[in-house]
Amino acid sequence: MISTGTRSKIEAEMERYPQKRGALLPALYLVQAEHGYVSSDTVRELAEIMGLHPVEVMEVVTFYNLFFDRPQPRHHASVCTNLPCSLRGARVLLAQLEEHVGSKVGEPTDDGRLVLGHEECLGACAFAPMMRVDDAYHEDLDLEHAKSILDALE
Amino acid sequence: MPTLTVDGRVIETAEGKSILEALDDAGLLMNGVDVPHYCWHPKLSVDGSCRLCQVEVEGFPKLQIACNTVVQDGMVVNTTSDRVRKAREGVVELLLINHPLDCPICDQAGECKLQDYAFDYGVEKSRTREPRRAAKKRVDLGPTIVFDQERCILCRRCVRFCDEVPKTRELAVFGRGDRSVIETFPGMELDNPYSMNVADICPVGALTTKDFRFKIRVWFLEDVEGLCTGCANGCNIYLGIANNKVYRYQPRRNDDVNETWMCDAGRLSYRDIGAPDRLQYAYVRDATGSLEAAGYEAAIGAAARRLRAIIGSKGAGVIAGVASAHATNEDLFTFRRFIEALGTETSGVAVPKGDADDLLIKAEKAANAAGARALGLGDASLVADRIRSGGIDALVCLGSDFLGTGLLANVEELAGLDTVIVLDTHKSEFSRVAHVILPTRHAAEKHGTLTNAAGRVQRLRAAVEPAYEAHPDGAVLSHLGKALGLPGFDGSYDVRAVSKALAESEPAFSGIHLDSVGDRGRVLIDPDASQRDREPEGPNL
Repeated sequence: MISTGTRSKIEAEMERYPQKRGALLPALYLVQAEHGYVSSDTVRELAEIMGLHPVEVMEVVTFYNLFFDRPQPRHHASVCTNLPCSLRGARVLLAQLEEHVGSKVGEPTDDGRLVLGHEECLGACAFAPMMRVDDAYHEDLDLEHAKSILDALE
Repeated sequence: MPTLTVDGRVIETAEGKSILEALDDAGLLMNGVDVPHYCWHPKLSVDGSCRLCQVEVEGFPKLQIACNTVVQDGMVVNTTSDRVRKAREGVVELLLINHPLDCPICDQAGECKLQDYAFDYGVEKSRTREPRRAAKKRVDLGPTIVFDQERCILCRRCVRFCDEVPKTRELAVFGRGDRSVIETFPGMELDNPYSMNVADICPVGALTTKDFRFKIRVWFLEDVEGLCTGCANGCNIYLGIANNKVYRYQPRRNDDVNETWMCDAGRLSYRDIGAPDRLQYAYVRDATGSLEAAGYEAAIGAAARRLRAIIGSKGAGVIAGVASAHATNEDLFTFRRFIEALGTETSGVAVPKGDADDLLIKAEKAANAAGARALGLGDASLVADRIRSGGIDALVCLGSDFLGTGLLANVEELAGLDTVIVLDTHKSEFSRVAHVILPTRHAAEKHGTLTNAAGRVQRLRAAVEPAYEAHPDGAVLSHLGKALGLPGFDGSYDVRAVSKALAESEPAFSGIHLDSVGDRGRVLIDPDASQRDREPEGPNL
C-alpha cells in the first residue's frame, strides 16, 4: 500500500509536469523509498493514482537498473569495475569481498543483509578503487577497509 | 498527389504516406517490389525497430527505413542496390545471433519470415561463438496463445496489436536492450476476443495458437479463400485444408470487411465442420415413433409422402417454412421458390442474436441475415405465432441454430405438429420431434454467396467434401420439390445457375452473382439510391 504521505507527494509531483506521466520517474523513486522495491501490486496502485495503464508503469520499472521489482536485501554494495578502478585492483577486490561475505555478485547473503554488485563508472576515478554502499561513496579502498565497511552494515 | 519512383516504376500516392504504404496501396509490396519487413504491418502503427526495410533514397546519404520515410514528390527509391542488400544481410545476421536454430521442431517453419529472409539474405557462416541468449520457453500467455521468448525478434507487432486493435494492452516489452522481453503484466493473461491474431502477425515462431500448433506442417496445407460464418460480419478467411480436412481458419485481408483480423470465436468455428455431431445420415421416424437412420432417397420419399398427405387433407396453407440465416443467398432463393410453389404463405427467417462489439463481432449470429432480408423473407416470429394459434400442421426447417433462442416455438411446442421436416448440418434438439431429418452441407462444403451485415455479397467456396451424402439446402429442397411434383422443380440444383437467376430476378442483386463478386465482394444495390444516382457498371458500388 502506498501511504497517504507518499501519495500526496506523488500528486504534488504530478502538478509539476504538463503531462501526468511525466512524473512517473519521481513517483517511482518515492514509492521505492517507502517500500524498498516496486511490487506489481504497487505498480497497479501507482498506475491508478497516475491514470496510466499498469503495463506502462511496469515497462519503466523494468527498464531502469535502479528500480527493483522484487524485495531487496537491506544493503546494496557495488564495486566499480570500470577501467581506472580495475587498473587499481577493483576486480581482485570484488572477488575477495565475494569470499568474505560468502556470496557471489548478484546473490544476496543468506541473512538478507547484503548483496554485492559491480558498477560502471561512478565518476570517482581519482579515488579508485571505490564502491557505492546504498547512497554513500567509499573511496581509496583496500581489502581491510572495504571489509570493515561491509561488516559494519546492519 | 506526390509521385515517387521505385526501381524505375512510377507510383502515385496520397499525401503523407510512407514508402511502404505507397507500395502496399499500389499492390506492389512483396508483389513486384520486394521490401522485406518485420515490424511494419499495414494495420498497425509504425514502430521502425526491425530496420529490415531499409532502402536507398536519392539525396539521402544514409539508407532510410521505408516504413517511416514519408514520400516526397519526385522521390527516387532504389530497393535492389548492393548497399540495400548488404544492410538486409546485416539485419538478418543480427537477428540470427540469438535466434534458436530449432526450425525442425518449430511450428512456424514453412511460414516463418525469419526463415524466408534468412534464405534470401542470410550469410552462410556464423561469426559468433558465444552461447545464444536463453529465455523462457513455452510460456502459457492465456487461453489461446503459447509464447517462446527465445524465438521472439522483438518486432512488437503483438504489443501494438493489443494496444491498438482490441485496446486491451496485455502485452508489453519489459527490460532493456539485449535483455528486452515481451511479457504480460504479472498475473495477467492475454485474453481478449481477438487474441489469436497475434499468432498470425508474429513473423516468427514466438507466438503460436494452442489450437493449431503441432497439428500439421503448414506446407501440407492448401489455403482456400472462404468466409467465416460465425456472425453477420462475413470476415474473409483462408481455410487451411489438407486431406479433405479443415485444420484452421486464418483471416484474409479485405479492407472493406475485416482488414486483416478475425475474432477468436469465428476462428475456432472451423471445428463445427468435422464435429462428431455432424449429421451423417438421413433420419426418418418409423411407425413405432423412433427416429431411425435412413438412406437419403428414402428420406426424401418419406418427407414427400408426409407433405402430400397434409396437402391432400388440409391444403398447403397449414405448412410453414423456417430458414436459418446461415443458408446462402442461393439456398434461401430456392427456399423462397419452394414455399411459393407449395402455395403456403407462412414462412420466415430466424436470426439468433448475441453479443456485439464495435470492431468485427456483430450481434446477428448468422452469416446471411442481410441476404435473407434482401430476398424479402420475413421474420420467423410470424410462423411462431401461427404455430401457437394452431394454424400450422407441418413445418419445413432449414437449420436449427434458432432453436432455444425464443425465435421460433420451443421444441415441446413443436411436438404437437403432424410433420416436422428438418434440413440440417448437425444433430440438434430437433431429433426429439422431427419426422424426417435430411443432412446438408456446411458453408465450407458448398459454393454460393453470403450477404454480410453491410450488404456486401461475398463468395463462398466448397473447400472440402463431406465424407457422406449431404447436399446444399437448395439441392435438398430441389429434390424434395421434384418428389412433390412442384412446378419448376426438376430435382437438379446448379448453384451457378441459381445465383444468376437470383441476380436477374432481384433488383438489389442486379448483376451481383457468384461469378461477379470477385475476391472482395460487392455491395447490394439500394433500390432507392439506384433511382437517384446510380453509378454505371463497376465493382463495390
